[in-house]
Amino acid sequence: MNLRSLFWIAIVASMLNAQSLDPNKLLQPPVDSWPTYNGDYSGRRFSTLSNLNSQNVQSLSLAWVYRTSEATGTLGNVVKSTPLMVNGVLYFSIPDHVFAIDARSGRQIWQFNWASKGGWHLGSRGVGMYGDWLYFETPDCNLVSLNSKDGSERWHKQICDLDRFYTATVAPVVIGNHVIVGVSGDDLDIPGYLESRNPETGDLQWHWSAVPKPGEPGSETWPNAEAMAHGGGMTWVPSTYDPDLKLLYVGTGNPQPVIAGKGREGDNLFTESIVALHIDTGKLAWYFQPSPHDTHDWDAVETPVLFDGEIDGQPRKLLAQASRNGYFFVLDRTNGAHVTTSEFVKTNWAKGVNAKGQPIPNPAKEPQVDGALVSPNQGGAANWPPPSFSPATGLFYVNATRAFSEYYIFDDSEKPEGWSGNDRGGGGESMLQALDYKTGKIRWSHKWEGPGARSGVLTTAGNLLFTGDASDNFIALEPATGSPLWHANLGAAVSNGPITYELDGMQYVVVGAGDTLFGFVKLSGK
Amino acid sequence: MTREGWSQVVATMITRGAKGTPAEFETVTDYLTKNLPPKNSANVAASAGPRAFPAGPEDRQIIDPKAAERGKAKYTSDCASCHGPLARGGATGPDLVRSTVVLHDHYGDTLGPYLRRTHPATTGSAIASLTENQIRDLSHFLHEQVEDTLRSGPYTKVLNVLTGNAQAGAAYFNGTGGCANCHSATGDLAGIASKYDPPTLQQRLLFPRTVALRRSSAAAPKPITVTVTPENGESVSGTLVQLDDFNVSLRDSAGNYRSWRRTPELKVDRHDPYAAHEELLDKITDADIHNLVAYLETLK
Repeated sequence: MNLRSLFWIAIVASMLNAQSLDPNKLLQPPVDSWPTYNGDYSGRRFSTLSNLNSQNVQSLSLAWVYRTSEATGTLGNVVKSTPLMVNGVLYFSIPDHVFAIDARSGRQIWQFNWASKGGWHLGSRGVGMYGDWLYFETPDCNLVSLNSKDGSERWHKQICDLDRFYTATVAPVVIGNHVIVGVSGDDLDIPGYLESRNPETGDLQWHWSAVPKPGEPGSETWPNAEAMAHGGGMTWVPSTYDPDLKLLYVGTGNPQPVIAGKGREGDNLFTESIVALHIDTGKLAWYFQPSPHDTHDWDAVETPVLFDGEIDGQPRKLLAQASRNGYFFVLDRTNGAHVTTSEFVKTNWAKGVNAKGQPIPNPAKEPQVDGALVSPNQGGAANWPPPSFSPATGLFYVNATRAFSEYYIFDDSEKPEGWSGNDRGGGGESMLQALDYKTGKIRWSHKWEGPGARSGVLTTAGNLLFTGDASDNFIALEPATGSPLWHANLGAAVSNGPITYELDGMQYVVVGAGDTLFGFVKLSGK
Repeated sequence: MTREGWSQVVATMITRGAKGTPAEFETVTDYLTKNLPPKNSANVAASAGPRAFPAGPEDRQIIDPKAAERGKAKYTSDCASCHGPLARGGATGPDLVRSTVVLHDHYGDTLGPYLRRTHPATTGSAIASLTENQIRDLSHFLHEQVEDTLRSGPYTKVLNVLTGNAQAGAAYFNGTGGCANCHSATGDLAGIASKYDPPTLQQRLLFPRTVALRRSSAAAPKPITVTVTPENGESVSGTLVQLDDFNVSLRDSAGNYRSWRRTPELKVDRHDPYAAHEELLDKITDADIHNLVAYLETLK
């Protein structure tokens, strides 16, 4: 009997548990479950459910609320994680805490509290699941595995070095017998990486470094060995995956030092890149770099969304990203070849687009001692909140921000380190953009009143799009036009990506806003 | 962080959707500045109190400034020639701010053994004679260099924005910039340069609302106003409280709160007193900005 057979026997055996995740669920469109961060591996956040639809969305009503602040006894929690829903149980996280609650009633089943040794408690994007086991990352650099039945800890493994100012926020993604984990942190010039861990033991299976070693491909885009060894490229948003191509897609973060580009002349590969890795080895298949030599903290980590489409009459396997730098990229996901590049908000930092589809940075818009006025600002035209692609409309939806900042160099010495500068600004405007992947053009734009709408997006076959606005409303809109259909004010901005699932023939929509998770349901049947 | 640093954080949160009045944001900024002051403030150095920067391990070394000063002297005489004056590396010695030996060290516990055993073996330098106290002092100095490199360190200040031409700035002010449509160098802006430093002048002309929120000494930002006209009803004007796709609310001059559900028949006119500044962002060049700041700086 080979290892592969043993693996499947182990999986089937674990399925005897009522709470266990059937691995086949991860390869199907999410209907009666939401078994991974994006619902499925594609990152589309599109549900085939249509029980709830544009005709009856007015009957969507509040079913329950779950307050994390009451559970943890602390104020200021923000639910940034996308819950998983498996066999009627929701699993989600905030930094140092994981919760299991009843997907029908919002009643807590268990809560896990991690004793932290530090790290930046900026956010926790969620948990991954494999059979009976859950995985989550802690701000103090640990990967923790829990028993989904009772939240008891099975093991924890250190995945980064807290003393070097790494931290961890990403939701692990489980693919076959790989737990994909990423790392965060850009305060002290450290290299980014992505790892695959063994779901049973947490042991390392492979390690992909976002920066090369001298002599390796990409090293020609750095001035020297020290610059690349400290060059950044964090992996803090969950990857997407194509099971047919067996390729994993991940976006990497900013190069380091963050604002001062002096000392790291060159394109700084593979920071600010969309990379495709072979799932079993972690070897690089291809890359595309949205922001060569970035100096604005514009991590290209935004979800690389996978869908099949048609370009010039030919069927194509595509990947699209609405990047923090303000550009929308559509690539061929088999080889990284560029298909379209367009601005999804007006920007001012590039001189144009090169033949490979990359914006050409304008050196005058790099941070300056006396300031350079740049748009987007550091928060970006888009950020980590997940976008959505609807195969029903063929449109890519993203909450976008248009804002300016003055970017300054604060350390003009010979060897700037860390950040060595920052941006200062304010204001701006926010809008929901519907982008046509064939042309890159904006099909429609729904402007929110005021800046600050950065919520995730969900689309459904019920002709619905769910997201949040700048005024704490959770809103359903018509995906073809952007017309609002339904809303509820949640008292805090929608802070995660909404999800939907069907239980007992009823369709639920679950969303986080501030410290609270809200469950909505259309109570009657068809 | 300094008050300036925290106010920038608060301004960022407002940009990302935090809700509150200017007075509430002032209170939050005051609270953060008081409870999470810059790391070299005396009250932090004297205690194992809150960390200046929210990242990194909780048991991070608390710098003893006097020990760091002694460590600096020892470092300068014994180490700087190889590792550079700021410990960021030199001709022959590696960067110590990025060194895992330093970053893993607490009060000399890994630095000491390293300096006594490994360092002489790899470099031939005879530094095995360092005392416990000298190692501790060096540890404080090196950790201070690490802290200085973090975003809360000394490299958080705008250095110099006075690089423009004041004459060209005056021409822009009175001409293409359109500033003179609302402002006057001898009227509302008289003496403006005595009130604000050049970086603030630069931020104020670009982001007047945010800067007003950031500085307690500055006047509160001018509010956005709104006029709501119901079908067959009288117009009501006031300070905008909330506007979204579904509702609009204001506070009128008598202090009354009023709100309406938005319908196609309800007319809503929003007036942003800083609209001209927002429009400027798409037109103004970096040279215009620097010239304009140079000109404003002459208005003492």
